[in-house]
Amino acid sequence: MFTRGTLIYIGQRVVLIAFTVLAVSSIVFLGIHRLPGDALFNEHLHGEQYALLLHHYNLDQPLLIQYRDFVVNLVTRGDLGESLVNRGVKITPLVLRELGVSVEVGGFALIFTIGLGLLFGVVASIRQNTWIDYVLSTTSVIGYSMPNFVIASFLILVFAKWLEGVTNGTFYYQLGLWKGDIGQLWLPAFALGFPYASIVARLTRASMLEVIRQDYIRTARAKGLREIVIVARHALRNALIPVITILGPLAIGIITGSVVIENLFGIPGLGKEFAQSILNRDYFIVIGVFTMYAAMVGLANLVVDLLYVVIDPRIRY
Amino acid sequence: MAVAVRVDAVSQPDQASLWSDAWRRLRRNRLALAAAIYLLLLVAVAILALFYTPYRMSATGIAPDYASPSFAHLLGVDNLGRDQLSRLMIGAQISLVVGVGTQLLVLAVGVPIGLIAGYYRGWIDSVVTFVINVFYGVPDLLVALILVFLLGPSLANIIIAIVVTRWMDMARLVRGQTLALREREFVEAGRASGAKPLKMLFGHIMPNALGPIIVQATFGVPSAILFEAFLSFLGAGVQQPTPSWGSMAKDGVDAIQFAPHMVLAPAIALSLTLMAFNFLGDGLRDALDPRQKR
Repeated sequence: MFTRGTLIYIGQRVVLIAFTVLAVSSIVFLGIHRLPGDALFNEHLHGEQYALLLHHYNLDQPLLIQYRDFVVNLVTRGDLGESLVNRGVKITPLVLRELGVSVEVGGFALIFTIGLGLLFGVVASIRQNTWIDYVLSTTSVIGYSMPNFVIASFLILVFAKWLEGVTNGTFYYQLGLWKGDIGQLWLPAFALGFPYASIVARLTRASMLEVIRQDYIRTARAKGLREIVIVARHALRNALIPVITILGPLAIGIITGSVVIENLFGIPGLGKEFAQSILNRDYFIVIGVFTMYAAMVGLANLVVDLLYVVIDPRIRY
Repeated sequence: MAVAVRVDAVSQPDQASLWSDAWRRLRRNRLALAAAIYLLLLVAVAILALFYTPYRMSATGIAPDYASPSFAHLLGVDNLGRDQLSRLMIGAQISLVVGVGTQLLVLAVGVPIGLIAGYYRGWIDSVVTFVINVFYGVPDLLVALILVFLLGPSLANIIIAIVVTRWMDMARLVRGQTLALREREFVEAGRASGAKPLKMLFGHIMPNALGPIIVQATFGVPSAILFEAFLSFLGAGVQQPTPSWGSMAKDGVDAIQFAPHMVLAPAIALSLTLMAFNFLGDGLRDALDPRQKR
C-alpha cells in the first residue's frame, strides 16, 4: 500500500509542514510585536524591576534580534519561551500537554462526525424519496445551521439541569481518557462533531445515489449478493472518495470549533488556552498555540491525502 | 427606397425570462418561501429597533437581575437587569449588518478577482489559485480571532476580519464560472466586435454568472453571522453594552443553571436565522440552476 515513492512523498510533505509552521509562527510573532503598548504595562512596575523583567523576556533587544533568538530557540530546542502572565511557566510543555487533550476530544468528535454522517447518508440514499430520506435531509440542514455552542448549550441544559438527578452533573471532562470515564467525552464530542456530521451526511447521500446506479452494482445484485454486502463493500467504498475530499476542511473545522467547545465544557485543551491567552494578552502563549495549530492543520491535511491511497488503490504518490 | 421592416410586427412566442422562471420555481418551494418570510420579518424587526425597543437596550436594573420571562419583559431579564427582548432586537441589527455587509464586501473583492483570474488565465490565474489554496489551508476562525485582536474589536474590524478569511469562496466560484463562460460563442462575438475588457467582464460574463453568485452570497450570509456569533461568544466581538446574539449566548451560558431563558432566546434566534438563510439558499439554488438536480 505504501510504496517507496509514498514514503519519499511523506518526507517531502513533512519538510514542507515544518517550513509552514515556521512561517506561520514568524508572521504571528512579528504581527504581535507590532502591536502598540507594553506587554508588562498592567503590572505597574518601576525602574530596575521593570528593566530586569524586560531583560528576562528578551524584550530589551531590537525586534530583529528578538526574532532571531525566537527562531533559533524554536528550531534548535523546540523552545517557545515563557508565559508573560504566569511567570516561570514554560510554553512548550504546556501546549504539548494541552494538544494531547484536544486531540483526544477532537478524535472522538471525528468518530461521531464520520460515523453519524456515513450512517445517515447511506440510510437516506438507500431509502431515497421516502419519509426517512426527508426527515434525515431536513435534520442535516438543521444540524449545520446550529452553531456548535448552541448545540452544546442545549446539551448542558438537558443533561446538567433538567436531568441532573440522572447524570449527577458528572459529565465534565477530566484529564486523561483512560483514567476518566468515556461518558464524560460524549457531550463535547457530539457538540463538536454534529454540525459536520450533517455535511458528511449530505455528501454521502449525493455520492451514494450516483454510485448505486452504476453497472457494477447491478452486477453485484445479479450474482445474488446480499444487500448489506452490496451497500457496504461495493457501493460505500466507491462513494467514499468525494467524502474524503472534505475531511481536510472538516478537521480544520473541528480544530476551530474546539476553541468554543473547550471553553464551554471547561476542557483544559489547546482551544481554551488560545481564547484565554488572547483575552489575557499573554502574547507568547498566543504565538505558541498558533504554532501548534499550524502543525496540526498541516499534519491533518497530510493524513487526509494519505487516506486517498488507502481508499482508492488507483491513486499513487 | 428601402422598405422599413417592423420588427415588433413579427409575432414572438411567450417568453419567460430566467428571473420570472426562477421566481415561479421558488414559489413552489414552501420551505424556502417560509424562510424568506421569516427573514423579511427579521429585517422589519431590525429596522423597527432603529426607532423603538420596549426598553433601552443598555438600561440596567429595570427589573431584578435574571428575572424570568413575564408580561413586562417577554423574554426575561439578563444578568445586569437589562430587557432581553430589546437586546435581541438590537442583536438582530448587528447580525444582519455583519451578514449582509460582509457579503457585499466579499462580492466587491471576490467577483473582480475571480473574473480577472478566469478571463486572463496564465500567471495571474496561477497566483490567484495559489493564494486561494493557501487561505483554504488556514483555520479561518483562528485567523479572524487574531485579526480582531490585532485591529481591536469593533463592528467594522469584525467585518474586515471575516472578509479577509472568507473572500475566497466567491473568488473560486466566479473564477470557475468565468473559465466556462469565456469559451462560449457570445464572448467570442463580443471580442470580435471589439468590446473593451471591462465591458466584457462586467457587461457580458458577470451577468451570465449571476445565478450562482446570488446563491453563493445567500449561503455566505449565514456563515458570516455564525462567524460573528463565534467571535462575540469568545469575547472578541462587538463590545458591551452593544448586544450581539453571540455575546448574549455567552452571558446566558454562564447563568445556565438558574436562568436558562438567557441562553435560550439568543440561541433559538440565531439557529432560526441561520436555518432560514440555508433553506432560502437551497431554494434559490434549485430555482436558479435547474440543470443541477439534487
